[in-house]
Amino acid sequence: MAKTSILGLYEDPEDGAKAMDALHAANMDPNDFDVLTGTPYPEGAFGEHVPQHRLFRFPVFGAMVGFTLAIVFTAATQLAWPIVTGGKPILAVPAMLIITYELTMLSAVVMTVIGILFESRLPNFNPGAYDTRITEGLIGVVVSVEEGRESEIEAILNNAGAMETKRA
Amino acid sequence: MRQGRQLDEIRVNKELLNGALETPAWWKWAVLFFATIVVTGFVVFGIQTNKGLGVTGLSRPVFWGAYITTFVFWVGISHAGIMISAILRLTQAEWRRPVTRAAELLTVFSLLTALSFPVIHAGRPWRIIYWIFPYDFARGLWPNIRSPLIWDPAAIGTYLTGSTLFLYVALLPDLGVLRDRTTGWRHAMYGALSLGWRGNPRQWRLQTVAGVLLSALMLPIFVSVHSIVSWDFAVTPGVEGWNSTIFAPYFVIGAVHSGVSAVVTMMALMRWLWKWDNFIRPEHFDALARLLIVVATAWFGFTVVEILFSLYTLEGPELAFRDMQIFQWPWSGMFVTFLLCAFFIPVTMWLFKSVRSSIVLMFWTSILVNIGMWLERFLIIVPSLARKQPFVYTWGSYQPSIVEFTMMAWSFAFVAMNMLLFARFFPLIPLFESKESMVFTTEMKIGRTTIPAVLREQE
Amino acid sequence: MASRITAAAHDDRPTFQEAAADLVNAPSTAASSTTTRWFLILGAFVVLGVVGFVLKIADHGMDDRRAWGYYVAMVSFLLTTAGGAPMLSIAPVLAKANWVRPVMRVSQLFSSIGVLTAIMSIPLIFLLPPLVEDEVRRRSIWFGSPAYFPHIWDTIAIFGLVFLGLALLWASSMPDLAAIRESGSGRRQQWARRLAPGFIGTSGQWKALRIRIGVLSAFYFLFLIFTHVLFASDYIHALVPGYKDAIFPMYHALTSLQAGTASVILASYFLWRYGGFNRYIGINQIWNLAKLQFALSLLWFYFFFSAFIVFWYSRTPQNEKVIELFDQGPHLWAFLGALFFCFIIPMWTLMWNFIRVSMRGPAIIAGVIIFGTLLDRIRLGVGAWATEGINDKFLQVVPETVWPDLWDIFMFLGMFAGAAFLFLLVTRLIPAVSLWEIQQSRLISKPAMYMRSEVEIVGKPD
Repeated sequence: MAKTSILGLYEDPEDGAKAMDALHAANMDPNDFDVLTGTPYPEGAFGEHVPQHRLFRFPVFGAMVGFTLAIVFTAATQLAWPIVTGGKPILAVPAMLIITYELTMLSAVVMTVIGILFESRLPNFNPGAYDTRITEGLIGVVVSVEEGRESEIEAILNNAGAMETKRA
Repeated sequence: MRQGRQLDEIRVNKELLNGALETPAWWKWAVLFFATIVVTGFVVFGIQTNKGLGVTGLSRPVFWGAYITTFVFWVGISHAGIMISAILRLTQAEWRRPVTRAAELLTVFSLLTALSFPVIHAGRPWRIIYWIFPYDFARGLWPNIRSPLIWDPAAIGTYLTGSTLFLYVALLPDLGVLRDRTTGWRHAMYGALSLGWRGNPRQWRLQTVAGVLLSALMLPIFVSVHSIVSWDFAVTPGVEGWNSTIFAPYFVIGAVHSGVSAVVTMMALMRWLWKWDNFIRPEHFDALARLLIVVATAWFGFTVVEILFSLYTLEGPELAFRDMQIFQWPWSGMFVTFLLCAFFIPVTMWLFKSVRSSIVLMFWTSILVNIGMWLERFLIIVPSLARKQPFVYTWGSYQPSIVEFTMMAWSFAFVAMNMLLFARFFPLIPLFESKESMVFTTEMKIGRTTIPAVLREQE
Repeated sequence: MASRITAAAHDDRPTFQEAAADLVNAPSTAASSTTTRWFLILGAFVVLGVVGFVLKIADHGMDDRRAWGYYVAMVSFLLTTAGGAPMLSIAPVLAKANWVRPVMRVSQLFSSIGVLTAIMSIPLIFLLPPLVEDEVRRRSIWFGSPAYFPHIWDTIAIFGLVFLGLALLWASSMPDLAAIRESGSGRRQQWARRLAPGFIGTSGQWKALRIRIGVLSAFYFLFLIFTHVLFASDYIHALVPGYKDAIFPMYHALTSLQAGTASVILASYFLWRYGGFNRYIGINQIWNLAKLQFALSLLWFYFFFSAFIVFWYSRTPQNEKVIELFDQGPHLWAFLGALFFCFIIPMWTLMWNFIRVSMRGPAIIAGVIIFGTLLDRIRLGVGAWATEGINDKFLQVVPETVWPDLWDIFMFLGMFAGAAFLFLLVTRLIPAVSLWEIQQSRLISKPAMYMRSEVEIVGKPD
């Protein structure tokens, strides 16, 4: 069933929290409503459920990939043209360690950034109801609602003190 | 105590976006000025490429001169960003907030500038490709990973990529603000760059976790970069003054010293130029100066130990080299200037609260530090090479030519111009950090006194 | 904004009265038959150590340098661990870290072990070869100074560090001793009367106390670095022919911070688990200490590698022999042990938050690091003292592995027992968790609600 996105805007964060409370009380699925703010608040300040993530897996995976590639790169390229320089062994571990370290870290950082975007659910160019005043300090409570329940949800948002509601 | 006023989010947006959404009158003149120097630099570089390195002061035995000094100098400056951003983020220092973006930006632009110098220095810049990248596949010839000159681009490339990504991730919420405050092509650009940022709890949580995680990942890279640059020198056994095991941490702590000082310079300029008195406050300079006292003292300790152990064996060439570096003109003049500028004058002044809170004095002392730190690199590189041939005695000296001075001026203009261009499109002070600070700072009353306090989330 | 912050529903931190009752009459300080038994056992081991020392002299005299390598490693180990631990009460304070307060006293208590370091360093004065022998001056950081300089300055450094550590412990214990003087009993009260006369907590006294602690802390840090530079260069570096390693003293100092942190973690764990301090020391302290420990373990490798890469790259005979002596040849086992226990194991474990956020995980790793540090000091101390040809240009012959004899083992046991003895002894007088730090922590931090979220408000006074 198609869903409508409804946004309630609040001047006072406490009203936003009340709207969240009311949505919880109305047995809405926590995945169907969210709070939008222009500034980070302490986690759980609006009574929202604390989002879980698996970001930490990304750098570990990245580091493993980077490490493997670096070992292959440093070893294979030196073995491909085995010329002794400076009396060092062809597979000179301390020198390989430096390149390996850099590539491991590079890969870990790149994967972390990919992980951040993935876990933040970005990019998302079709975000539903939104208002530019949120980045000016208004609190937005956005609800994804099945057709037919729009008025009920708007009433909940308005009862909590919404200065305005809008649909998308 | 907190100085300055608490602002609401609309005021924060308005004040901090005054550079990105409006064009200050001085801006285009400043950009034009720096652009002129940058263009001149490119022309001079063209002349050097055409005529060869003979137009520089480089000659036997000194083949590493002002270019390599300036390369090391800018790599050093680049340590500002991660030092400020990562370490202060990990230690939850509240005063870091207005400083982080500019420091990260300085890292990116100074690294780009630093990377240019080996290319400029190479004389035939196209050959740099042979040096770093695999070439001549037909014969299977590859770069020699045993060479420190290969370690350098690996480290700097990693640092530059990581710093740029770090900067971008921390910019996402502010790009959302810009998207919401603009129209037309700018709105489209910010919309695309912000990737649809909305500011829901998941995105904010990831932003916080990302800050900590990327900081933790960037810190070891930051340490490795200047260490590897130092090994360009330290692993060379034949040059007095270079072959020292302490070089890696010594370079890193020196880089932090010069980088944080550069941040002070930049913060003072930002406050004056964009009138961000409510955000960049004397308390921030005070905190940075306290940090600099610790860093500068540690760096000085390393300097003393480095010199102490270089004399340790009491071998003739080493003693003669140090004698020249410290006591013979013109090196002696530079040595004294270096110590006075990089340590004695600024640190003595920073001991006084009145100096730490004076933005003018902090500005000038931070510039002194960087004059001193440039000289430090020059004194490490050039005198050592001037007498590196112990058996053939082809000793010589070196003086940078006008071409090298121009390229050095180019480097400063290049960084300044890029910063100004960035500031025209993006906020130099993170908006969301300033807003977060409004939420997370409070006051606490104990008896009859009130002290500043912060909120800490329960782990 | 302030209206969004409300009082927390519950605050389970000990009240002022509870903390005072707990800490002034702390379980660890109460005399019992168990503690007496422990003191007797530890005392017996200390006697064993002294016997080992005497028999070592009887067997080898004071001239056979090779025989005393393990003894040097012991002093170096004590200086590294117990000397570095008080830094935990200094460094985090600069970052205004509130979490460190409950373990500040634990870290300062390690100063008491300094007494053992100082006593054990006395024979080193006689063991250290003279600066000038047969009119030949050996390489040292003392260059043309009088021949007694290393002996006298090293002694001043070690004793100075111990004095500063004890002074810091005394200064920061003053308010707690005053509390014991007022509400304690028996011999502890008598000692408290002597050690804290006249402290009644006027604002002037508190101000003076803060200044005193600040000044002593700054001097302690500077003296710690100074002592490590002197000890590392005179007792290890200068004895190896051709060894020139500017980072070595800094490595010695850095490992002291690492091992000091490990010592504090381990002691905090025991105090939490067995000492009855579980309302004061908890996961917040161990978690933060573990993060610090992780960073210091990475730095261990960084400082090691910074020297190693330069030596390895140069391929000069001097440097190759140094690598062989310390890292590859006779002490490969100790080097590998140090590498694994001080770097690889801590790195691979402490990088995971689920290990850092546990009481047992960081404590086990701390034990591993302390063992690794011991091996590291054996590799350096025993290796350096086994070399010959102190005036040679470079090390001609890499010595054979030196294994500890029975007397060395006796001395090791005596050293550990002596350290534990002193630590326990001083906790009988001074509470292992600082009462006034706990009280101040309670004053400047409090649990609260920010709208629907549980937070902690932490005051950050300048």
